Amino acid sequence: MYLKENMGMTATEIARLLPRLHKKSVSKNTFLLRQGDQCPNAFFVESGLLRSYTIDDTGKDHIIQFAPENWFISDRSSAYFHEPSLVFIEAIEDSMVIVLDQYYNDFIREIPSYKEKNEMLLQNHIRHLQNRINALLGATAEARYLDFIRLYPSVSLRVPQWMIASYLGVTPESLSRVRKDLANRHYR
Amino acid sequence: MELRNIEAIIKPGTPHFVGDGFRVYNFIPKAGQLSMQRMDPFIMMDYHADFYFPPSAKPKGVGAHPHRGFETVTIVYKGKLAHHDSSGNSGVIGEGDIQWMTAASGILHQEYHEQEFSKTGGNVHMVQLWVNLPARDKKSKPKYQDISKDTVGKYTLPEQNGTIEVIAGSYMNVKGPAFTFTPIHLLHAKLHKGGIAVFDFPAYFNTGLLVIEGNIRINDNRIAATNEFVLLENKGTTFTVEANEQAIILVFSGEPINEPIVSQGPFVMNTHEELNDAFMDYNMGRFGFMDE
Repeated sequence: MYLKENMGMTATEIARLLPRLHKKSVSKNTFLLRQGDQCPNAFFVESGLLRSYTIDDTGKDHIIQFAPENWFISDRSSAYFHEPSLVFIEAIEDSMVIVLDQYYNDFIREIPSYKEKNEMLLQNHIRHLQNRINALLGATAEARYLDFIRLYPSVSLRVPQWMIASYLGVTPESLSRVRKDLANRHYR
Repeated sequence: MELRNIEAIIKPGTPHFVGDGFRVYNFIPKAGQLSMQRMDPFIMMDYHADFYFPPSAKPKGVGAHPHRGFETVTIVYKGKLAHHDSSGNSGVIGEGDIQWMTAASGILHQEYHEQEFSKTGGNVHMVQLWVNLPARDKKSKPKYQDISKDTVGKYTLPEQNGTIEVIAGSYMNVKGPAFTFTPIHLLHAKLHKGGIAVFDFPAYFNTGLLVIEGNIRINDNRIAATNEFVLLENKGTTFTVEANEQAIILVFSGEPINEPIVSQGPFVMNTHEELNDAFMDYNMGRFGFMDE
């Protein structure tokens, strides 16, 4: 289980924690969080697929993150800093999430391995975000697409193309061109 | 010739749409005990019960999607479907037709209501059944077998009971035209009211029926109505079906492949590594390209 592998929790600790966590079923196209809400919770995806996104002044979606199985999703401003959320978190498929509330945060802070594990997770996340900023600033559409398929191998088959384009920061036409190009090089 | 009893009769649950063109009830693998392992080699069955689609200028259907590692068998009772794939193959499947598509190493295709059918609107009634392939054949060359109502094997039951149409495998001395990689029987029993048919398959073959039309009694004992799925036990070989009213029943029985099944979405492989390879191949364009 994720908790054991990534947080280094023992079986006893897990047994104490799990009954106190609650699961939430989220139907396709419903929201866990809306822009402007204050929500102290993060979410762990047990099954299904969610996305976090913003909507700009022209009404266009910008997808920040996808969260398939075993991913976390939250708005940091809201969850950690108690500020209004910047993002919407919406289910793309019928999903089951585990709600990581204040009890969870307090609990894991008491785990001996927490400091070390959490530091590693945060550093990794910052590295990932730096790479993503860099890609969005200057990488070609193809390079962005290749990063995407490495990070989310199955998501391309679970979402419409416009969502992938939104995540990549390219037009759907550019994405289509990249995929066609790859097929021309690799098919048969 | 030991009697084979019913393990379960399963009613259809809540339908869902595949794309915007197919309103299906899933039996395998999500209904009751009909898991991929229990129904091996039949790993998926989506049943499109009779449903009216109004006229549409743009054909409804499901956009480009891949398959790897298995076969899809599409049987059309009402309606007209079209398909085309990234290799340039295309075709139309009409009433009474069966398309047996071996996806194997990989096919990228679209399935949708045929153009003229879409313009007039009409009823769609069909089944899509996925048949798993053994490991040795999962990477074989994709191919199509188109079977029509004229090319199925036909066995006339005595005393006006009806007809058995054989798509694959055999019934009595009549063989079905479809080539299969493992032993499978896929038949339609078309029974007149009061008509009786007897079926005999090895006990270890995973066996089921789907009532496409009508109302039947199995083994003189239990009733199954239109749109219901009947799972037979793996004990005994023989069961009888009697039509309480004129009936069409899809009968399927197959030898389990008994290999690990590792699947996600449209890929059914044997290991996680092969599954990961399938996603990577799809993402890298190795299945070809089609506009969404």
